Amino acid sequence: MHRAGLDRMSGRATDQAVVEPDAPTSVEKSQKRSIRRAGTPMVIAAVILAAVWLTGNLSAIVPSVVIGLTEHAPLVLAATGFALLYRLTGLINVAYAETITLGAYFAMHLNTNYGLGFYVVLIPAGVLAGLLSVATYLLIFRPAKLRGVGTLELIIISFGLSIALRYGLQFIFGTPVRFFDVPPPDSVNIFGVGVASFRLVALLSVVILAVGLYLFIQRSRYGLMVRALAGDEALAQVSGIRPFAVTVLIWFLAGLAGGMAGAFYGVGSSVSPLLGERAFLFILLVVLVGGIWGINGVMAVGVGTGIALAFMTLTLGKVLYAELALTAAFLVVLKVRGRRLTESTKV
Amino acid sequence: MVLDTFLITGLFNVVMLIGLALLLHLQLGLTRIANFGVVGFWGVGLYTFGVLYVRVDWPFEDPIQFVVCAVLATAAAGLCGLLIGWLIADLDVDGVLVGTLGFATAVAILATTEQGLTGGARGMGGLRFPYDSGDVAVNELIWLLVLVALVAGILAYVWLVHRAPYGRLLIAIGSNEPLARSLGKPVTRTKLGLFTITSALMGLLGVMYGVMVRFLEVSSLGIEVTLATVVGLVVGGSVRVLGAVVGVLLTVGFFDIVIQSYLPLPAEWYTQTIPLMREVLFGVALILVLVFRPLGLLGHMRRDRLMKRIHGG
Repeated sequence: MHRAGLDRMSGRATDQAVVEPDAPTSVEKSQKRSIRRAGTPMVIAAVILAAVWLTGNLSAIVPSVVIGLTEHAPLVLAATGFALLYRLTGLINVAYAETITLGAYFAMHLNTNYGLGFYVVLIPAGVLAGLLSVATYLLIFRPAKLRGVGTLELIIISFGLSIALRYGLQFIFGTPVRFFDVPPPDSVNIFGVGVASFRLVALLSVVILAVGLYLFIQRSRYGLMVRALAGDEALAQVSGIRPFAVTVLIWFLAGLAGGMAGAFYGVGSSVSPLLGERAFLFILLVVLVGGIWGINGVMAVGVGTGIALAFMTLTLGKVLYAELALTAAFLVVLKVRGRRLTESTKV
Repeated sequence: MVLDTFLITGLFNVVMLIGLALLLHLQLGLTRIANFGVVGFWGVGLYTFGVLYVRVDWPFEDPIQFVVCAVLATAAAGLCGLLIGWLIADLDVDGVLVGTLGFATAVAILATTEQGLTGGARGMGGLRFPYDSGDVAVNELIWLLVLVALVAGILAYVWLVHRAPYGRLLIAIGSNEPLARSLGKPVTRTKLGLFTITSALMGLLGVMYGVMVRFLEVSSLGIEVTLATVVGLVVGGSVRVLGAVVGVLLTVGFFDIVIQSYLPLPAEWYTQTIPLMREVLFGVALILVLVFRPLGLLGHMRRDRLMKRIHGG
C-alpha cells in the first residue's frame, strides 16, 4: 500500500511504499523469521541462566515477592497510565516523567501546607496532574499534530517539555529533597518480611486504582470509545465517536494515573525534581515489553518488574546493579521482539 | 596573549558540542536514528580514558600514554556503539529511544557504582595534559586548539559524507528504510557501521573533555550533554551540515560564552540561576522550533531545494 506524506524534520518527500502492519511484505516476513531464528537461542539461554540463578537464591524469592509488590506498586499504576497514552497516540511522551513528579509535588504541597492526610490529597493531586497533562496536549501536542509534525519530532518535543518542566521545578523548588508530613508507619510481618503498614495500604490503593482503570477501559462505554479510536481513528469517527473529547479524556486519565503514582512514589521515599525521571525508564520498558499482551500484559510485566527488581537488589546487593541488569534484560527482550507492534496489539 | 580561563572553557564546550552535534547530524538528521544516549557514548570515552590513564601503571610516559589510552577509550566507545547499534538496528523509534536512553543510564550507573575504578560520586582526579608548557592557561589554550582541529576534521568528514554515495545511502535509509531494503541496500550493515564510527568519535570527544577538566565527576553524565547536542542540532537545522555549527553557536555559545564572559550579571546568578535557565530555555527552544520550524534555521537540504526547482512543487 502506498501513502503520501512529508517527513517534517528531513523535509523529504516520503511518497514511497509504506508497508502496512497487516500486510507484511516478503522482505519483512523474512526479516521476522531471521529475528525469530536469532532470538530463540537467546531466550533459551536467558531462561536457563535465570533458572540457575533462581535455584541458587531460593531464600530470596519470598522476600522479593513481598518487597516487589509493596515497594514497586506505583510502577504498575504509572505504566498503565502511560500505556493508555501510548496506545492512543503512538507517542512516547517523555514528559510523562514530569507528570509523575508534579503529582508528587501537588500531593506534598496539599499535605504539608494544608495539613491534609495523604489519602485525602491523593485524588486532588491526581486530578491536578491530569489537568496539567491535558494542558500539555492542548497547548503543545495538539497544535504540533495539526501542523503535521512527525512521530520522531513529537518525541523530541516531549523531551524538550520534560526538560523545561524538570529544570523549571528545580528553579522553583530547588534541588533539596522534600518529605510528606505523615505519621511514622507501623511494621507488619508478612512471611518473615517486615513491611510498613502504610505500604500495604498503598499496595491495596494501587490495585484498586489500576483495576478501576482497567475496567474503565475494557468495560465502560468511554473505554470502548478509547479502544475504538486507538484501533482505527477514521472508522471511529465514522461511528460517531468524537476524537477530540476522547483524546482529552485519555490525556486526563494518563495524567491522573501518573500523578497518583507520583504521590505514592513521593510518600514512600521523598520528593525531588528528578523523581519521575528515575522511574521513567522502567515505565517505558514495561509498556514496550508488556504492551505485546495488551493492557493486562503491561500490568503483569509491571508486577514482574517490581518483583525482579527486589530479587536482584537482594541477590546483587545494590539497587543500581539490579536496575542495570534488568535494563539489559529488557533491551534483549526488545531485540528479540524485533520491529514495531501493530496498532491493534499495542495495548 | 592568553585568553581568559572562563572564555577558554566556554569555547571548549561550544566546540566539543559542535563536534557531538555534527555526529548526531549523521545519526538523526540523515539516517533518522534517534540517539537519546549521546552522553552514554561520550561518557564511555571519558571514563574509559580516565580509568586507563589513572589506574593502569603504564611502562611509558606522555604523550604515548595519552595516545594509547585515547585510542583504547575511542575503541571502547566504538564497541559500545556496535553493540547498541546491533540491539536497536531492527527497532522502531520507540525501541531506539529505549535502547539509547537505557545505555546512557547504564553508563551513569556503572560510573557511580564502580567506585574502585571511577571514584564513584567522589570523582576521580589524576588526569593531566599530555604536555606541559609551564602555564595551565597556555596548556588549556593549546588543548582548545587541538580540539578545534579535531572538530574541523569531523566537519570535513561530515561534509564528505554528504557528497559521497555513502551519504546518499544514509539519506535513503532515513527517508524510507523498507524501500532501501527492498532495493537490496545493505541497510543493517550501513547503520551499524555509521553508529560504530560516530559513537567512537563521540567517545574521543569525551577523552578530550576529560583531559580539559582533569577531574571526572558522575554528574557530568547527566542529560545536559545530550540536551545541548540535540538543541544545537535541531535549532540550527538537523539536515544541513552547518546546522550543527550554527545551532550550537546560537544556543550553547550564547549561554556559555556571551552570558558567562560578557554580561555583567550578579555573581550568584552564575551558580544556580543561569544553569537552570539555560536548560529550561533549551527545552522551550526544542518545542518552539519543532512546532513552528521543524527544519531549523537553515531549512531544507540544498539537494532538496534543487530538486524542487527542477521538478516544481
